[in-house]
Amino acid sequence: MPGHAVVRIVGVGAAAPGLRLAAADIGAAWNRKGGKGRAALCAPDEDTLTLAWDAGTAAVEAAGADPTAIDGLWWGCGRPPFADGPSHAVLANALGLAHHATGALLSGSPHSGIEALLAAADAVSAGSVRTALVVVSDAIRPGPGTGYEQRAGAGAAALVLGLEGGTATLGVRATRSRPLLDRYRGDGETDTRDLYDGRLFREEIFVPIVGEVAAALAPLAPSVWSLPDPDGRLGAVIAKQVGAPLVASTATYAEVGDSGSAAALLGIVGALDAAGVAAAVAYGGGRATGIIINVEAPVAGAARVAAMITDGTPASYTRALRNRGQLVAGGETIPMGVPPESALFARGAEEMLQLLGARCVDCGTINTPPSLHPHCTACGGPKLEAVHLARTGTVHTYVVNYTMPAPFEAPLPIAVIDLDDGARIMLQVDDDGTDLAIGRRVRLVLRRYAYERGVPVYGFKAKPLQEA
Amino acid sequence: MAWNRVTVVGAGLIKMGELFDQSYEQMAAGAFAAAVEAVDKGFEPHQVEAAFVATQRGTLWGQEGIGGNTVPTAIGLAGIPCTRIENACPSGSDAFRVGAMAVASGVHDVVLVIGVEKMRDKSTEEGLLSRAAAGHPIFTRGETAPVLFAPFATRHMAEFGTTREMLASVAVKNHYNGARDPYAHFQNEITIDDVMKSPPVCYPLHLLDCCPQTDGAAAVLLVNAERANEFTDRPVWVAGFGVATDHPYLHEKDSFTEIKATRIAAGRAYAMAGIEPTEVDCAEVHDCFTITEILDIEDLGFVAKGRGGIASLEGETTLTGRIPVNTSGGLLAKGHPIGATGVAQITECWWQLRGDAGDRQVEIRNGYALQHNAGGRGSGVAVINILTNRNDT
Repeated sequence: MPGHAVVRIVGVGAAAPGLRLAAADIGAAWNRKGGKGRAALCAPDEDTLTLAWDAGTAAVEAAGADPTAIDGLWWGCGRPPFADGPSHAVLANALGLAHHATGALLSGSPHSGIEALLAAADAVSAGSVRTALVVVSDAIRPGPGTGYEQRAGAGAAALVLGLEGGTATLGVRATRSRPLLDRYRGDGETDTRDLYDGRLFREEIFVPIVGEVAAALAPLAPSVWSLPDPDGRLGAVIAKQVGAPLVASTATYAEVGDSGSAAALLGIVGALDAAGVAAAVAYGGGRATGIIINVEAPVAGAARVAAMITDGTPASYTRALRNRGQLVAGGETIPMGVPPESALFARGAEEMLQLLGARCVDCGTINTPPSLHPHCTACGGPKLEAVHLARTGTVHTYVVNYTMPAPFEAPLPIAVIDLDDGARIMLQVDDDGTDLAIGRRVRLVLRRYAYERGVPVYGFKAKPLQEA
Repeated sequence: MAWNRVTVVGAGLIKMGELFDQSYEQMAAGAFAAAVEAVDKGFEPHQVEAAFVATQRGTLWGQEGIGGNTVPTAIGLAGIPCTRIENACPSGSDAFRVGAMAVASGVHDVVLVIGVEKMRDKSTEEGLLSRAAAGHPIFTRGETAPVLFAPFATRHMAEFGTTREMLASVAVKNHYNGARDPYAHFQNEITIDDVMKSPPVCYPLHLLDCCPQTDGAAAVLLVNAERANEFTDRPVWVAGFGVATDHPYLHEKDSFTEIKATRIAAGRAYAMAGIEPTEVDCAEVHDCFTITEILDIEDLGFVAKGRGGIASLEGETTLTGRIPVNTSGGLLAKGHPIGATGVAQITECWWQLRGDAGDRQVEIRNGYALQHNAGGRGSGVAVINILTNRNDT
């Protein structure tokens, strides 16, 4: 783009849920041939926003960036957590970005991920933001029993963009579109519909426009590609057409399934670990867009991508239906005592999402959360300053709660954590509690604490670290 | 001391249990009648000058609007001054302390302290367990009552080698006592194996490590010691009391091997009574969970810190042990109708000090009985009352 500054990739990250649903189990449930492979599945406390936080945090760490210096967040996800609400604000706050951070939430189809990348790149290039965080995430909710179900997965990827630093640059782009229905979710519908006719989709929509975009990028001789592969075959068709030497996205599709808006970038970020020319092509909602990434040297964070998205735990089909909210117990659940739109929530929103503490100026004790502590718990002093809490710590003591009313699910471990900055906090544990122990190292991760009145409630949980 | 001395001249309770057939008002009337009946020389209800009522779960059906006015009408004394005390699990203990202060101050000579609580008009899910969804949306999410005490058990086990058998021995002992208390919710003995094999509720606590949900009511009559002989020749005196608070949230605790509020309140109560822990003949302590009693007997100074588990297992707290604890069956067997609990504990102390405890009677050597509750979020408040049958204090 003549006259515009070249945008650089400073760091990347990725994330996938910890559960995997086998295609064979879906087949068995519907009494038909199962098919192969598996796809990622969200736990009850994971969704598109928590995946976005995981990937975004990893990218910011890889970039070595100060989150408060990131002044723009572009988030592409096909299905925002709030259909109409503060999705972007919640993610930006939980990531601890600059309070004046700009950016956008792009949604409406699996194409929204690449749209977020392009919009962020344009803002950086134009100088309207210094450092942009691009996050793409999705957790597909297919209709039970549809042919698409075994392919529907989840995942997230993130890139930190700037004009300085980094070891890769964004290159040329190409876009094509056709105004035709493929997979879609009508207004008011909860599940993504399957294709009406797979052959129609292939011949009239997918192959023509994705093929044209890929052909437009092919002259730049990419050594590695990320190609959309909604059914497990079409990616190979395009790869053959353009003579792609290596399709990095094949491995991510095999691991997490179709991650929708995240698929194109999740399929390429791990490949930015080697110098060369990379191409990422996204498809969705009747649009296809591709972009070239010129890798000068391994991009920070790229080498860790594979480990971030592999090795999920198998989950049953029943578990999958429950986690997606498609299998619901009869009877009433216990509503939160504090509605998510109430004053207590409003008072606590920032301190909960940004993990703020109140440090006593006189004795140094960190009290949490600030809104409940106008005075220090240790010395009683009234002079407190807001600080960001440490994100790692050690289990001081814990319980595993087995007895709660719906919608709680047992076992629910809860731990008192001694954070590395000396603060103490009590949080739910992102684990089944079986290998929890006093002294176990944990890090704090954003998870969905509740889903009620149609909206999610987010907060931090303690995730046990793998023993070294 | 410039204050009037205070005596207990009557005390009583209703049979505790799941009292689906009784209203809040009927339970209050039953407890009041029991206390009046227990007065040796007779007591006319209209002699009550003022009342203090303890009811903690104002959110349970039938108790939402309860203030100081419900009980007087229920017991036929509409018009008397009456104040409701709500101070978490020690509500009944604190109502007793406030009632004693009202008499000590000279404002009133005859005061009724009554605790009344319906725990079972709501289902377990909608009642007690629903607190998992109450309070702070993040810091208390999933926090049912056992979550407030189980972290202490985990830590006590790690630091002192306390075992689940030791925890279980508390439940076994209290059920044994409860089987000898006609007012107890549970009237059956259990074994350590029963406790160990009961379903897990909140690691490391199992079902029989936990007190039941119980409806109940208890009442005591406090009288200026100058006038005690109008009612009885065998009064029991209030020797002292102590209250202390600690931070409400668990993550604010300094230690998970003690209930700090109990330790501080105990120091105050012993100082006021002018006694040492070794002079206590028996104690009714807060055993909402087995671990709580282990912490209590340490924090009250009955055993050294860390020895609560082994002391329980070795029988130091049985009816014939060195320091009998929860002779009534405690919260674990007698039940925990929250507002009534402390008042019912006072009633047990009154019986023990007067030698009226029947099969549960312990040897009264020094003439002191101690009553204790701790509670609130994170055991942030503890109340202790010490009674005596000695007129020389």
